Amino acid sequence: MNRVKKTVLLGLFVSQALILSIVESWIPIPSPVPGVKLGLANIITVITIIFFGFREAVSVVIARCVLSSIFGGGGWMLFLFSVTGGVLSSVVMSILYKSGRDKFSITGISIAGAVSHNVGQIFVAAVFMKDLAVAVVLPVLLVSGCIMGFFVGLVSSFLEGVLRKTRIFD
Amino acid sequence: MLVNKIWHCLLIGDYMTKRFTVIILSIVLCTSVLFVSCGYNSSDLYETQEFLMGTVVLQKIYHENAAEIAKEVNDRIAEIESTMTINKPGGEINLLNDAAGKEYVKLGEDTLYVLDKAKQYAEISNGAFDVTIGPLVKAWGVFTDNPRVPSKNEIDELLKLVNYKDINIDFENSTAMLAKEGQIVDLGGIAKGFAADEAVEIYKEHGVKSALISLGGNIFTLSGKPDGSPWMVGIRNPRGNDGSYIGIVRVKDKAVVSSGDYERFFEKDGVRYHHILDPKTGYPADTGLIGTTIISDFSIDADALSTAVFVLGLEEGMKLVESLDGVDAVFITADKKIYVTDGLKDTFIFKDESKEFEYVEKR
Amino acid sequence: MLKKGDFFILGFVLILIIVSFTGVYLYKNSGSNAHKIAVIIKDNEEIKRIDIDNVNEPLEISVSGEYNNIILVEKGRIRFKEADCPDRVCVNTGWLTGKGDTAVCLPNKTMIKIEGQSSDVDIVTY
Repeated sequence: MNRVKKTVLLGLFVSQALILSIVESWIPIPSPVPGVKLGLANIITVITIIFFGFREAVSVVIARCVLSSIFGGGGWMLFLFSVTGGVLSSVVMSILYKSGRDKFSITGISIAGAVSHNVGQIFVAAVFMKDLAVAVVLPVLLVSGCIMGFFVGLVSSFLEGVLRKTRIFD
Repeated sequence: MLVNKIWHCLLIGDYMTKRFTVIILSIVLCTSVLFVSCGYNSSDLYETQEFLMGTVVLQKIYHENAAEIAKEVNDRIAEIESTMTINKPGGEINLLNDAAGKEYVKLGEDTLYVLDKAKQYAEISNGAFDVTIGPLVKAWGVFTDNPRVPSKNEIDELLKLVNYKDINIDFENSTAMLAKEGQIVDLGGIAKGFAADEAVEIYKEHGVKSALISLGGNIFTLSGKPDGSPWMVGIRNPRGNDGSYIGIVRVKDKAVVSSGDYERFFEKDGVRYHHILDPKTGYPADTGLIGTTIISDFSIDADALSTAVFVLGLEEGMKLVESLDGVDAVFITADKKIYVTDGLKDTFIFKDESKEFEYVEKR
Repeated sequence: MLKKGDFFILGFVLILIIVSFTGVYLYKNSGSNAHKIAVIIKDNEEIKRIDIDNVNEPLEISVSGEYNNIILVEKGRIRFKEADCPDRVCVNTGWLTGKGDTAVCLPNKTMIKIEGQSSDVDIVTY
């Protein structure tokens, strides 16, 4: 794939991820605990890992987070918060993906990604507030991560099939 | 769309897919069940506070119908208050007081019971606890916004009206009368005790196995805590802030009631006048004690006795308590020393963060 | 569609859930006889400590920083009532009622946490 095409596609991914995170913020999830989200942007992360690779996925994540915090306001904290979760989840998902598609399905990888995303965010919050108390939400977040990751994974695997057929990424 | 996917996984997917989906769904199910049950189950403890009898009534009940039971208790306490109060119109004691020196008044079971108990404690304390102290309490106005120091003459005059022997109870006809006009019965020193006992009756009727009630600091512990351990009740530090204590008693099925010069008082010309009047002198009891606590099986006894021994002082008070079965006490003197009756020697835990008090173990 | 390794993932996550759940449960149930103390922390420093079980009238506290928060305290509970930060996660967290419950306004570096106070008495006479 030539560079221009790659840049364009990655740019598209970034904007897709951005839109997904905005739309996701409009959907209220009734939950006793803050931080439960759909994690739709992870779809893009997984797809990037599949069609490009780890480095590209991380760049997309960082770019998305930068733009998201500029557009959404929230400044440094919000950025740090989402970028840690995003990068951690990219790392985890890449490792799993690279160790073999015969071992891990996209759905499974997504679950791992969602869970590590949440863990990353809690970690940042705890370090930031210098207090482990924020971790009381961990059990709930982990469970929701599983569930959301599952559905996101189903969507992603479906999406992968569709995208492959378009042969854009060849 | 996603629902279809799940369906697809369950029905058509290969074996592993099916297992996987089932696991995910069971996680969802389990967590929702967990959340629902956590709502009910987090501690089983129902705690409520209500303003009654001129103070805060706190109840801690371990029972599934705790809310209803607590309400029943509050209603009963409100009923007792309206029957026995002299600070509000209505009720039986007001009728009794109005008819003082004139005629017998019909009284209900509760009032007769309490009056009789009050008389009994007056007798065994030799008049140190005397509910006919009403006229003096009124004169001092300690419970009002305008407390004052009555003149010696006024006090001497009013002392003539203080005599528990003038309470005449006719059990056969369920009536009672105060012998002299102007006499006033004030059940303030015993009514809360009665109310606490009634609350415990209600708890027992409903099969409550563990509860604690505090009527303005007058405490009753029903059995122990759910895990079987005794309730830890702190003995108020008479010179400390709310909630500070100088010791802890570990109790099950006991009433713990304190009296002290810190509850209600006012200062005039540098002298502190507290609310526990000595029925013999007409002045706030000055016998070297700043706090007394009684632990007994019934709150009505503890309530009356905590006042009685405060007025009696350390020596006489200790003697009285030791002469009674099933009653123990903690005495705190003005020179910051703590004495306890023999029965408490093993269960009283001396713990004073202010480090100002001394626990005197041998007497 | 689903592979072997997925089970390891699931198993691992399940263990994480159980461990964290147990941890939180133990934390929440230690010293349950005590009053709840809510602590407001700003910029990593404790700025206020409130016995929320002793609050009879609702109380509002303002916290200003990069953004502004209004914290509402009622008997036995506390929450972020208003905030002008961009995500309002803090306000959406709702009421904090139990030991360990936390709400955070990251943009304003403000946190509310309910501590349990391990106390050796259940009640004190007076």
